[in-house]
Amino acid sequence: MNALLKVEGIYKSFAGNKVLHDVSFSVNAGEVHSLVGENGAGKSTLMNIIGGIHRPDSGTITLDGQSVSFSDPWQAKQKGISLVHQELSLAPNMEVAQNIFIRRQPRNRLGFIQWKKMVDETSALFRRIGVDIDPSRLVGEYSIAMQQIIEIAKAISMDARVIIMDEPTSALSGSEVDRLYTIVRDLKAQGVAIVFISHKLTEVFKISDEISVLRDGHMVGNVRPGEATPQDVIHLMVGRSIDQLYPPKAEIIGEEILTVEGLSNPPHFEDINFSLCKGEILGFAGLVGSGRTEVARAIFGADRTAGKVTLNGKPVDNRSPHNAIEDGIAYLTEDRKTLGLFLTMPVRDNIVAASLDRFLTSSRMLKHHEIVAKSREYVEKMEIRPFNDEVSIISLSGGNQQKSLLAKWLSSTPKVLIADEPTRGVDVGAKVKIHSDLRALANQGVGVIVISSELPEILGLSDRIAVFREGRITAILDGDVTQAEVMKYATQ
Amino acid sequence: MASFQAEPRAGGRLKSLLSVENMQIIGLAVVIILISIVMQSNFPRFLHPLNIEIMLVNFMPEAIIALGMTTVIIIGGIDLSVAGVYPFAAIVVGKLLVAEVPVALAIILALAAAAAVGWINAFMINTFKVHSFIATLATLLTLRGVNIVITNGATVSGFPSSFKDIGRARLESGNVLDIPLILIIFAILALTFGYALRNHPFFQQAYFIGGNKRSARMSGIKVERYMYFVFMLSAVLAGLAGILVAAQFGAASNSYGQNMELRVITAVVIGGASLSGGVGSISGTTLGVLFLAIVYNAFAMTGISTYWQDVVIGIMLLTAVFLSEFLKRRRIKR
Repeated sequence: MNALLKVEGIYKSFAGNKVLHDVSFSVNAGEVHSLVGENGAGKSTLMNIIGGIHRPDSGTITLDGQSVSFSDPWQAKQKGISLVHQELSLAPNMEVAQNIFIRRQPRNRLGFIQWKKMVDETSALFRRIGVDIDPSRLVGEYSIAMQQIIEIAKAISMDARVIIMDEPTSALSGSEVDRLYTIVRDLKAQGVAIVFISHKLTEVFKISDEISVLRDGHMVGNVRPGEATPQDVIHLMVGRSIDQLYPPKAEIIGEEILTVEGLSNPPHFEDINFSLCKGEILGFAGLVGSGRTEVARAIFGADRTAGKVTLNGKPVDNRSPHNAIEDGIAYLTEDRKTLGLFLTMPVRDNIVAASLDRFLTSSRMLKHHEIVAKSREYVEKMEIRPFNDEVSIISLSGGNQQKSLLAKWLSSTPKVLIADEPTRGVDVGAKVKIHSDLRALANQGVGVIVISSELPEILGLSDRIAVFREGRITAILDGDVTQAEVMKYATQ
Repeated sequence: MASFQAEPRAGGRLKSLLSVENMQIIGLAVVIILISIVMQSNFPRFLHPLNIEIMLVNFMPEAIIALGMTTVIIIGGIDLSVAGVYPFAAIVVGKLLVAEVPVALAIILALAAAAAVGWINAFMINTFKVHSFIATLATLLTLRGVNIVITNGATVSGFPSSFKDIGRARLESGNVLDIPLILIIFAILALTFGYALRNHPFFQQAYFIGGNKRSARMSGIKVERYMYFVFMLSAVLAGLAGILVAAQFGAASNSYGQNMELRVITAVVIGGASLSGGVGSISGTTLGVLFLAIVYNAFAMTGISTYWQDVVIGIMLLTAVFLSEFLKRRRIKR
């Protein structure tokens, strides 16, 4: 079969740093070709080149046998290559139809927008994909998952022949992921070529016809799912074999440290009861929107709720995150960019942000040398790259940003740590590191709660698992259950 | 697949009439009507055509400038320099007329000078990536100085009557449509901009830029070029207002337009625009200006200390901000 899209011999450097080195890649019509690799391997750069955001230093792009080059993403879109970004590029303040038809609105003879036609065409488009979205509502009214569908619909409406999906499932829950798979299969059947970027190898193996692996800007492997195992792909990605993805489970579990009774905040969650012991990792499983994050925020004092929270036998009245931190409760947010990090500030300031009052002189001034020492200690301990805590954190890769965020809470020496999606958008190496750090923390006697939408992560990490469904805990299971069992309680 | 089912549409025509933007505009209209009723029942001259005319004409410069400011605020920017451009254009046209430049040419040159200021604003914003607040504050302060330097602090006057006629002209057809020209100019501008912002793809880009600059760029909108358009539009409208006022008064002074930028921004925000961008409408802005005009006029008529009028406007501004945040939160989840 002839490749629909083919890139050959791509080189690209930014400010002298070689990001892509002689990379070739192709995708056939009606096939899904996944691209995997650690953060910083060059996946995004390659996709940005194909999508017209960057230009290659050298190399060729061929679409349907014809050589093409794009000076901006709009040109690529018009040629039929659409990039569906990890961070959505829709305007939340605008109606769905306007977003779909941006710059292509049907116009009357005077050049004004034909509203009815635009809305009708959008409805027809959604009917074709089989989703129920109202073209006249604002994009911002829909969940991230639906917005992702809208973005894909936009690509389809532009007659995209190649759709590049960058981490499309990172914000989706189980049933939404299934819906996306259905759409992907429909697109395949229509002869659309799909480039799929993901960190989740299980889904990559499930959905792909072909998998390519990038490492440090080189294309290091190309396999078909039937011919290789995820372990093989991980080996290609990191250049060494990782045999232990998850650390061993707890050996000794201590006394109860946190008790939650009758916690309610309708409609988000109701009557939540559970306890957490020293040295234990408690997993929160469930679909996105089942109330896991909201419960965590309530314990951390970020939202007002009814119910009782007891820490070390004493009731805590957490009116605000400030009180919670003082009591020794830390919450690692799922949304590191908007709720976790101070993006423009140095790594160092980010690491000590939650524990500044530990570095005070008797006259309540900051002890700068101790701050420097503490921050360097964590950069080293957490293997944060680069080994420089003075650069602003926005320049770090996702995995290193996440490690810095974890360092911020570790340095506040919490008694209870709630880690919400601690490895979202993080590469395999950083993931293993974060898992082992969480276990090490538990082994020091800290109670750890891990919230994750990745079931393998929950099962691999947790000593016990609380399963959430529609705002309630439906079961508290032992850590050695099967995925099927957890899913049963999460969905029925 | 429960999560993929959109909620049923929130009702029919009535509900869509009561959508967020409309709620705010309707609320504002109700407040304006209430003030008018209370005033009229105590001061029977309040709704006399002559008082209405004074009320409106006094605020026409703000109204014209607010049209451009609305566009600037929709894209997520702000333009403080209008309060400098306004007297600047008045002075430029005045100086040119005194030097016996033909009226039409003088007006065109003054508008071009205003446009140049808008160009400089956009250039600074695009090139140095400074926030529009700072860029336009810089041009505002510079222009205030320039205005004094050009005039030596004196009022420019002695214009030909053909120019002054523009300020005094009325549309007369019997006694029915006896309306000052400046009101007609505003009405035409407001209707055009209002319709275009809603229905023309080029003007619509403003909402996309204000909603998500990155998305706009990814969709091929030339964001930088649009900045030039929006800030030059704002400056040209401020210049037009300045020229019209010079014609009206038969004089130009560097003291024109004190705190004008704040009055204009207040009107636009009361009209429902959001300083974080992506939201705003010409109908809202027009009502916002009308509200200010009525409050100022009412205070003048009642003789209550004018210090209170700022209190009233301040409270109205707070209410507007509170209302739009409240309504927005109900509508946009994220």
